[in-house]
Amino acid sequence: MIGHYSMRQKVTTRQTGICGLIVTTILLAASASAQDATPARQGNGGGVPREKSYPKLVSGKWTGPRTADGQPDISGHWSNTISNHSNFTDPGAGAPGDRPANRPLGPRSERAPSRVTDPADGQVPFQPWAADKVKEFQAHFANPTRDDYIEPLARCAPAGVPKSFYWHGYEVAQYPGYVVLFFSSGTRIIHLDNTPHLPASISLWNGDSRGHWEGNTLVVDVTNVNGKALFGRTGEFAGPNAHYAERYIFQNDGKRFNYEVTITDPEVYTRPFTVTVPARKYTVADQPDGWNFETRVVERPGKSPVLDRDERICTENNGGFGGVSVVGKY
Amino acid sequence: MNIHSSRAGTKIVCTAGVLLASLLLSSVAVAVEKIPRLSNGKPDFSGIWQTTSVADFDLEPHSGRKDAPPSAGIVEGGVIPYLPKALEQKKKNFAERDKLDPRLKCFTLGVPRSVYYPEAFQIFQRPDDLRIVHEFGHSVRTVYTNGTWHPEDSQDLWLGDSRGKWEGDTLVVDSTNFIDETWFDRAGNFHSDALHVIERWTYLDANTIDYKATIEDKQVFSRPWNIEVILYRHREKNFQLIENYCFTADYDEFYPPKKDAK
Repeated sequence: MIGHYSMRQKVTTRQTGICGLIVTTILLAASASAQDATPARQGNGGGVPREKSYPKLVSGKWTGPRTADGQPDISGHWSNTISNHSNFTDPGAGAPGDRPANRPLGPRSERAPSRVTDPADGQVPFQPWAADKVKEFQAHFANPTRDDYIEPLARCAPAGVPKSFYWHGYEVAQYPGYVVLFFSSGTRIIHLDNTPHLPASISLWNGDSRGHWEGNTLVVDVTNVNGKALFGRTGEFAGPNAHYAERYIFQNDGKRFNYEVTITDPEVYTRPFTVTVPARKYTVADQPDGWNFETRVVERPGKSPVLDRDERICTENNGGFGGVSVVGKY
Repeated sequence: MNIHSSRAGTKIVCTAGVLLASLLLSSVAVAVEKIPRLSNGKPDFSGIWQTTSVADFDLEPHSGRKDAPPSAGIVEGGVIPYLPKALEQKKKNFAERDKLDPRLKCFTLGVPRSVYYPEAFQIFQRPDDLRIVHEFGHSVRTVYTNGTWHPEDSQDLWLGDSRGKWEGDTLVVDSTNFIDETWFDRAGNFHSDALHVIERWTYLDANTIDYKATIEDKQVFSRPWNIEVILYRHREKNFQLIENYCFTADYDEFYPPKKDAK
């Protein structure tokens, strides 16, 4: 993806889009380390993380710090630990058509588990017609011949539910009555009051979220999702009437959380299923890496450093990824 | 006659006195009315806001026309001080506004247009920053109030790089590093990448913000110029921002797969 763009010092968001932001952040990180102006930060080396297993987190008491309005304080920068959105059920395997024939995948057990954690086989319980649609999408993903074979994220669409949690890193910010998720592609405002959901006729990429805290767990009910975002470059999907029950289970040291969502849609699946996405926190102690942690560390004399987060703009830059232009066809 | 006129005079004096007193009282009331504040004592602009102004149609005074309601405009002095060459460009933009306005592509509106565009925005505020989430395009703008200033090596940004500081109860936001592709309104008023905007956000009362901006761009204008609009808090029951990723409208029909489709 990154290699698709040429590296240059002077870049504008218009010229480079999201991938440009990545390149820019890498350049900034590189120049910062070259100048050695800041103390070395503990980093993860950049790139997409490849954790092959992750701890199970259980709901229970929250013993960590709290915000002024009483929420568990989990604000900050987060990113998934397994892999990106290239492959939904085999996260380490890459996107359809990615792998050259001379570099076969090793045994499945050597890669991260499926994001589908229920049912136990790790597969989405699609009805036959829906499974056929996914197969068709995958067969054409690398060389799309129709509009519906293009992953909509490549056209700058919001990554949606649940894909936003395994796209780039993201920021979680808390306010009285709200948890707000600032993703690389799209923003979700989770209302913590008991106001009703939007009318069912309103259909949204990121849906309508109502949540509350139960100890260490943020429980969110998501409706009004238009189902257009797909779950990854492997094309799994939900229908426009699906219901999403989310649980964000935080580790009490504040360093990790597991995102779990149970998706119910009798029009597309044979039964509800659950997706789990592990995430870890990034702080000023980490090196910005252009993917999970796309920030700029700003030193302040006499004060602790702070993080700037770059503007996220995609469509305007005509910079969808994967060689697919936003305005182009295929 | 004399008595009569004297009584009338008393009446006028009296009425004026009452008016003056009530004016004084009302200004006192404004001064003491509580505005929302953060824990650090600074004004808290959290909430959902929108102007009733029609500024987005044309910042300058204009009669009603097919594509814009009439307005006295929001530019102090009435006229945007274009340099001669830039004025020619503005006229070209105006002539083709039904095709060239970036709003029509649902592009991020820029600053200050995103503030007076006739669609709601929500401010999420903490002591160190304000996040402005716009319904239109669901664009997110960050205003840092953590004592930092513009980075020297910033990219050109659609919403600029915004750093705020407090002057009393007024939030003063300095924004630079803009891209040159946004417009100020539907009438083709424009700027270059040298745009510099200084905004002043001040509560008039708990539900009303006075928004002023000084716009500077030496490549386009002969001097800085000022605008002012009033922003009102949305107080309708259960009012909320509804994402409007309108730039997806050209392709959203292709998703998700449909059961009966070939």
